[in-house]
Amino acid sequence: MSAVVPLPAPRQRRPAGPINTRATFRMRFSTMAVVGLRMMFHDKLKMFGTLAGVIFATVLSNQQAGTFLGLIYKNVMFVENAGADVWIVPANTETIQAGKLVSDSNLMAAKVTPGVAEAAPILFGNAVMSLPGGGSQPVTLVGAKAPWVLGGPWNIVQGERELLGRPDTMFFEDSDREYLGNLNLRSVRELNGHNVVAGGFTWGLLPFGPSYAFADFDLARSLLRVDNDQLHFVLVKVAPGADPKDVRSRLQAALTDVKVMTRAEYKSSIVRYVLTKTPIGITFGTSTLFGLVVGLVIVSLSMFSAVVDNVREFGTLKAIGATNTDLAKLLFVQSVTYAVMGTLVGLFLVTRLAEGIRSAKLALQLIPELFIGTSVLMIGLCVFASTLALLRLRKVEPAMVFR
Amino acid sequence: MNQQVAVDVKNVTKTYGSGATAYTALKGVDFHAEPGEFVMLSGPSGSGKTTLLSILGCVLSPSSGYVGLLGEDISVAKEKDLPRLRLQYVGFVFQAHNLLASLTATENIAMLLRLRGWDQKDAVKEAHHLLDQVDLSDKYHSRPGELSGGQRQRVAIARALAGSPPVILADEPTAALDAHNGLRITEILRELAKEHGHTVVVVTHDNRIFHLGDRIVRIEDGLILKE
Repeated sequence: MSAVVPLPAPRQRRPAGPINTRATFRMRFSTMAVVGLRMMFHDKLKMFGTLAGVIFATVLSNQQAGTFLGLIYKNVMFVENAGADVWIVPANTETIQAGKLVSDSNLMAAKVTPGVAEAAPILFGNAVMSLPGGGSQPVTLVGAKAPWVLGGPWNIVQGERELLGRPDTMFFEDSDREYLGNLNLRSVRELNGHNVVAGGFTWGLLPFGPSYAFADFDLARSLLRVDNDQLHFVLVKVAPGADPKDVRSRLQAALTDVKVMTRAEYKSSIVRYVLTKTPIGITFGTSTLFGLVVGLVIVSLSMFSAVVDNVREFGTLKAIGATNTDLAKLLFVQSVTYAVMGTLVGLFLVTRLAEGIRSAKLALQLIPELFIGTSVLMIGLCVFASTLALLRLRKVEPAMVFR
Repeated sequence: MNQQVAVDVKNVTKTYGSGATAYTALKGVDFHAEPGEFVMLSGPSGSGKTTLLSILGCVLSPSSGYVGLLGEDISVAKEKDLPRLRLQYVGFVFQAHNLLASLTATENIAMLLRLRGWDQKDAVKEAHHLLDQVDLSDKYHSRPGELSGGQRQRVAIARALAGSPPVILADEPTAALDAHNGLRITEILRELAKEHGHTVVVVTHDNRIFHLGDRIVRIEDGLILKE
């Protein structure tokens, strides 16, 4: 075998001879990256077609996942915002809804449990408002104790929290005012057969069911016709420095007829309930998957088609010394570039879409974790989609360039 | 091993397919070329000249026989080693130039130099130098679509010379060109090859350029007929 001659200095061409071909991984990668990007941007029509696939998948999956997260938030919003660290609920409770009652002895026991700073009862039930023009509309009635912090209204846009102390005064959902018969401040409505006054409004407190309406505990007891020694939930605020999990364990040990959960545990329970016992999870999961599959197919076919269209160029690359691994690097760079560009455009569009359709009733929850997850998913999807093209490339014979 | 022989082919056969559909394109070919030699390989369509060129270019492996490039036996090379052998020994000029449409003339050449281990800065300088040598100093940044057929083929020659490989293989380099451009391309290829000692094998039907060859080797029906 002949000796390998070192590389010459530029512009001083050495005589013909075997070439030291030991290009580093980085050299070959950067070379293939440049070639891949140039090829990609050269065929703009195909590039935009492929990008459309990524954008479509990004927008659809984020829109569906954002709507799903929005619905999940609707289900957990009360637990999230009620101000309690620990909840005492009827046994076997999985989600938050009007249901069984518990004895007020649980409230008394909670108040004297070490680590508990404050404990307050709430009533939680369905009520029906009679409308002035006839007909009726349901609301989810929440009764809380003064000063109406634990379990009281939040996101108050009109009125003061203290107004709940006035006789027969309630807070309703601002975005439901028309729905509740053009409700205004000081409007009087019949709720469960009893006249109440609108003393204030909240915004965005629309769970999956009827909107939340807040009343003082005693008014709610009267409206829901609950006995004096009964309540729906006990909300516990733990003392500063106390661990909610420790307090929960202590309460559960003392209160055997009820279920005690930390806020996080209750939220998890609700999410699990929504995912496993309602069609929400499967519905949105399917449509999110559909968006991803359609995106995958578009990107796969576009990249495959780009390879088929440029098969002679890939054959040339192979003929002059590029390996299948080099071409895989080229496709990898292309697919990651498609993913990054398409995801950025897709996320911009879905953010604008979310702003456009944002309302109290429908709010897409576009959280940073979703954006990061989508970006990673799209890169994975595009790299996976490029494998179809790579399979085709592996079959390209360098000898084709002589035909 | 003979260090003086750049290309050494002994009793090479190549059969495509198997069984009843098997087709033997080369039936025991002997061929050699010295360093700096400019050899024309001629023959009718289907004679086996492109198959021989593909084997010399480490693009195809022979079915049997010996193929040596500067003494290295490439006939026993595994398929995974062929790309390295191509980079190490061979420069190609294709019939249809086969430049990458998305790259400029400079990038088409520099890309190959990068695969051959040159750093980016030196690769670009060398590409410019090669383009100067083929009279394309004003086309550094032109893409193939902006060049005439003759200019494209000159870029292809510059690419084939990139890094100074010992063997240049040209497949019908004048087929897509008019007589004037075809002659000029062959002259450039010959001048540059002679200047630096490349062994050049040109497959051609074009008898207008035969006079530029040091030897004309005729192949027919898978066999070398005469020189």
